[in-house]
Amino acid sequence: MKMTAVEELKSSRWADEVELEGGALPLPTEVIENGYKILTEYKFEGEKKVKVVRMHKIEKRIFSKSIAVRKTWKKFGESSNDKPGPNPATTIIAEDVYMQYITSKEEDNKQEDDGLDKLKSLGEKAAVKCRTCNGEHWTTHCPWKDTALAGGKVPDDKKGISGTNGEPSKTGNKYIPPSLREGAVRTRSDNPNMNRRDDISALRIANLGEDTTEQEIEDLVKPFGPVQKLFLARDKITGACKGFGYIHFKFKGDAAKAMQQLHGYGHNHLILIVDWSKPQQHNN
Amino acid sequence: MKPLMLHGHERAITQIKYNREGDLLFSSSKDNKPNVWYSLNGERLGTFNGHQGAVWCIDVDWTTTRLISGGGDNTCRIWDCETGKEIGSIQTKSSVRTCLFSYSGNMALYSTDRAMKNNCEIFIIDVRTVDSSIGEADPILTIPIPSSDTRVSSILWDSLEETIITGHEDGALFQWDIKTGKSIKSVKEHSLLINDMQWNKDGTMFITASKDNTAKLFDALDLTLLKTYKTERPVNSAAISPIFDHVVLGGGQDAMDVTTTSTRVGKFDSRFFHMVFEEEFGRVKGHFGPINSVAFHPDGKSYSSGGEDGYVRVHSFDPPYFEYNFDY
Repeated sequence: MKMTAVEELKSSRWADEVELEGGALPLPTEVIENGYKILTEYKFEGEKKVKVVRMHKIEKRIFSKSIAVRKTWKKFGESSNDKPGPNPATTIIAEDVYMQYITSKEEDNKQEDDGLDKLKSLGEKAAVKCRTCNGEHWTTHCPWKDTALAGGKVPDDKKGISGTNGEPSKTGNKYIPPSLREGAVRTRSDNPNMNRRDDISALRIANLGEDTTEQEIEDLVKPFGPVQKLFLARDKITGACKGFGYIHFKFKGDAAKAMQQLHGYGHNHLILIVDWSKPQQHNN
Repeated sequence: MKPLMLHGHERAITQIKYNREGDLLFSSSKDNKPNVWYSLNGERLGTFNGHQGAVWCIDVDWTTTRLISGGGDNTCRIWDCETGKEIGSIQTKSSVRTCLFSYSGNMALYSTDRAMKNNCEIFIIDVRTVDSSIGEADPILTIPIPSSDTRVSSILWDSLEETIITGHEDGALFQWDIKTGKSIKSVKEHSLLINDMQWNKDGTMFITASKDNTAKLFDALDLTLLKTYKTERPVNSAAISPIFDHVVLGGGQDAMDVTTTSTRVGKFDSRFFHMVFEEEFGRVKGHFGPINSVAFHPDGKSYSSGGEDGYVRVHSFDPPYFEYNFDY
């Protein structure tokens, strides 16, 4: 069978507006370069002059003769006045859609197992760590809880253990368990540090624009790892961003990575300043 | 994938069909002008103007020279594909619900609705030479559907042109011998109206789409039920992929029920099932109403759907579709 090459017009179109000086409209142009046919038209839209650029990709495809003949058929009916190529009135390029794959049940189970395994392995390593003796148990179950070791060692250890992740913050801002009260009273300077243990994986991000939103920050930091909490300081009255925010990562490693990458990164024409979130001062 | 939206119809799409090579896509709708499009870029080649009512069915012959269409204006018309001119028109007693060319294109059939005291009938006509006198010519064969409580809602012609298979309003399937005009076999696997029937590539099996929320796969020879694909909405159309063991179902709640029942996103999806395992593995969103007709491109690399919203959407599959392996 004889094969014939036929030119195919595939359109992608956008219009951009250009303010032109002078009264008359420039003539439409048609340029063919790099396999694209670029049509440029100018027209008035109310007061404004509008430049319309249409880009058609020219593809060469090989068809069988019968199809090639059909490509040369004249348009008829309602389309008889259409120019060659798709008419934007009848042919619209829709938004991207994706096939949503529905995984089978076995696969779902497997995924859950995976997550559980991950958690288990994590647990074996360092999910639970005693603040008193550094052992692998909850602090409340620590055999040394009521001994001298607890009272004496706590302040020193706290710095060392501070990287512990996954341990729920049992000591809120106000309530302090009796076993720790003594230590808390004695070493007040350590208290904020302890209260805000989850700050260890927190970053302070500064030099943000006024119109920055939580979503933007989230998009910015999401690639580095799971985020536990995100806070953007806003003016109480205007709601405008005060220029800084805090991001609590789940893992310290992610936070470190994010700091390294984002410090000095240009966002919305501003250069970000990213640093570890410093413990709060005594003002509250 | 970036689908092409073909907006040539003002009302709901009733049927879409590719020609044999798949370069052209024909669409009919409840407005009165069937359209033809280049499937590659969505360019409209033309419209077939002449019907005065909803067009319920279209078919194109093997060589893409002629188009047959039937509509609610009680006519069945034959068109020239190249020029869009009407070659012949047949006046019927009630609206034409289905029409088809035979494989060779020598014969065509159409069926009429049971309405206005007329029973449903199937007509087989000779279309070797068609001119404006076809309206007066007698059909080769007329099969009246005797029972007054059922009508033909979809029809298929086997590739040897010896039998036809009809799907009925009550869910029954009949196989007819066209030499004698007698029914050879009938089965009733569906409980409600059969909206659509389509062949697989080699004509050994066909899939039915029914209002009873299922699509079923049948053996063409003896109408044995092979597979059932269950959904929770009426299925308006189903097609079998020519290259994979996939079927696509289009549906959604009845157009008349859309406003009276709660709509949840996801009911108007095209749903992909594995042909053998009867399990759904993928969905494609897009239409704003029920899908009335789906069709695979003969090369299996794209498919189209026409919906109650009046749009035809031409989807070209992304590479992941071809790499997708069904887990079993």
